[in-house]
Amino acid sequence: MKKVILKWFVFGVVAASLAAMTGCKKNDAGADFYDTEANMIGDPLMGDTPLIDPLGLPADGNRDLFPPVYFAYDSSQVNPEEAGKVEDVASALKRGRHSGVIVEGHGDERGSREYNLALGERRALAVRDYLISLGVDPATIQTKSYGEEQPADMGHDESAWRKNRRAVFAIY
Amino acid sequence: MKRQWFISGALLTGGSVLAQRVIDITGTGQGKISINLGSFKTGSDAASRNFLAVLKADLNRSGYFSVSSSGGAVNVLGQAAGGSQIKADVHVYKAANRQKLMGKAYSPVSSGLYRKLAHAVADDIVYAVTGKKGMASGRIAVVGNRTGRKELYVCDMDGKGMRQITKDRSIVVGPRWTPDGKNLIYTSYKRGYPNVYLTGRRDPITRYGGLNASGSISPNGKYMAVILSVSGNPELWLVSAGSGKLVRRLTSTKRGNEASPCWSPDGNHICYVSDSSGRPQIYIISKDGGRPARLTSSGTENVAPNWGKNGYIAFCTRSGGRYRIAIANPKARTMRVLETDWADYEDPSWAPDGRHIVCSRTSNYRSSIYLLDTLKDSPVALISGSGDWYSPACSP
Repeated sequence: MKKVILKWFVFGVVAASLAAMTGCKKNDAGADFYDTEANMIGDPLMGDTPLIDPLGLPADGNRDLFPPVYFAYDSSQVNPEEAGKVEDVASALKRGRHSGVIVEGHGDERGSREYNLALGERRALAVRDYLISLGVDPATIQTKSYGEEQPADMGHDESAWRKNRRAVFAIY
Repeated sequence: MKRQWFISGALLTGGSVLAQRVIDITGTGQGKISINLGSFKTGSDAASRNFLAVLKADLNRSGYFSVSSSGGAVNVLGQAAGGSQIKADVHVYKAANRQKLMGKAYSPVSSGLYRKLAHAVADDIVYAVTGKKGMASGRIAVVGNRTGRKELYVCDMDGKGMRQITKDRSIVVGPRWTPDGKNLIYTSYKRGYPNVYLTGRRDPITRYGGLNASGSISPNGKYMAVILSVSGNPELWLVSAGSGKLVRRLTSTKRGNEASPCWSPDGNHICYVSDSSGRPQIYIISKDGGRPARLTSSGTENVAPNWGKNGYIAFCTRSGGRYRIAIANPKARTMRVLETDWADYEDPSWAPDGRHIVCSRTSNYRSSIYLLDTLKDSPVALISGSGDWYSPACSP
């Protein structure tokens, strides 16, 4: 269930002192900043698998068993280099080694906190969808977004941000 | 043309119904009314002197006045006297013809409440002289991390009188006031997953599977607009404000996130953020659903809308790598960016006067709370130090 998406971004620019909306002009200055989403795996939204009520299910788990999945800026696509990490978790869950997993989505500090909360959830859901496509029972996967609230690296540069755009597996 | 239109203060503050009450602009300051409190008497007690200091600061901060001790276009006479209680007698005159604009004896209150009394007097003076609603009696809800956790706090509009509301030792995100100004709703992880809570109520309003965030109560108190991912993707939903039961799903953006809903003043529309176009932009949708209208088209990112009672939507726009505050008129489809310095300004919230905006300002990775004037005054720091402060929300 791989899905390839090409997305083209158009960037509008506002002149610094502009007081009124005067339309936008195309600019590719941000192209290096925003990764294109070509060749990404696990489109979160192919699945409409509804989430189950987490009442009574664990809200925490062991985060040390599997390494986190990392994401590109403002992207919720699992990229090919990271896909193997999800596949390892899927095998372990399918072998019945663990009861379930909470996929915790995180973002870097840039952007609005509330938007990052939604983005973190979408990252967690992208990983969940990939797990489901690999045959894991949806009832054993919960998602939890922390947005930008719990960075792994407190730094303020690209190397820190890269470590913070992640989905963590909390296994129970 | 548009620029001139926006700079007009009367439009921003909701019409000129009471324009004839506005005094002629004279004296000191840039277009401010010079107001003289030099003859206002206080006792020898601390409370009445502190009362006068707070009152003067409130009048200066209102944006309409320049406080002086002599001369002036408006004179404030009377006295404040404190003991175990403080009372105030306030008379306001137009200097030119001694026309009385206001005369009021305030009932005594406990001396510890001198700040509250000063805020009430300041708002009464603003209204008596300009015919406009003041903001001094408003409050700001804000998230702070001075305890090492992200807790909810409330302070006065001047940033003083800070008190901690939550002691959950968890994470608070995105507080908003209920329409009656008595309670706050916020997202918290205190029971493990992000759920939406109401202050004073133990159980969450919503605790569906996945994300429950950015709850915003409708003006009539019946509904809550909220971001839920229960369907498998973050979407904008309408739920019952009382029970949290699902009413309807408003968006269906399989390739997008929704965030940050807020209500139009009449309660018929919801403004929110969606990245269904590829970048986060601001949209407006009917509370009954249907096709959303896109409000913003410029800037790489437009987020965190707040729809004021004045009809204008304040939001955060990213352009040139910097976050700034903009305001848009959704009917005329015009917008303007507020002039600020090189720092990042985010999370705007309209003050109760419909003229000022409270927002966060981040520089060198430290975040504090600022007051911006949509007319002419310079930004003012309201809350800074003791950790970071962000996500401010002004009471209605």
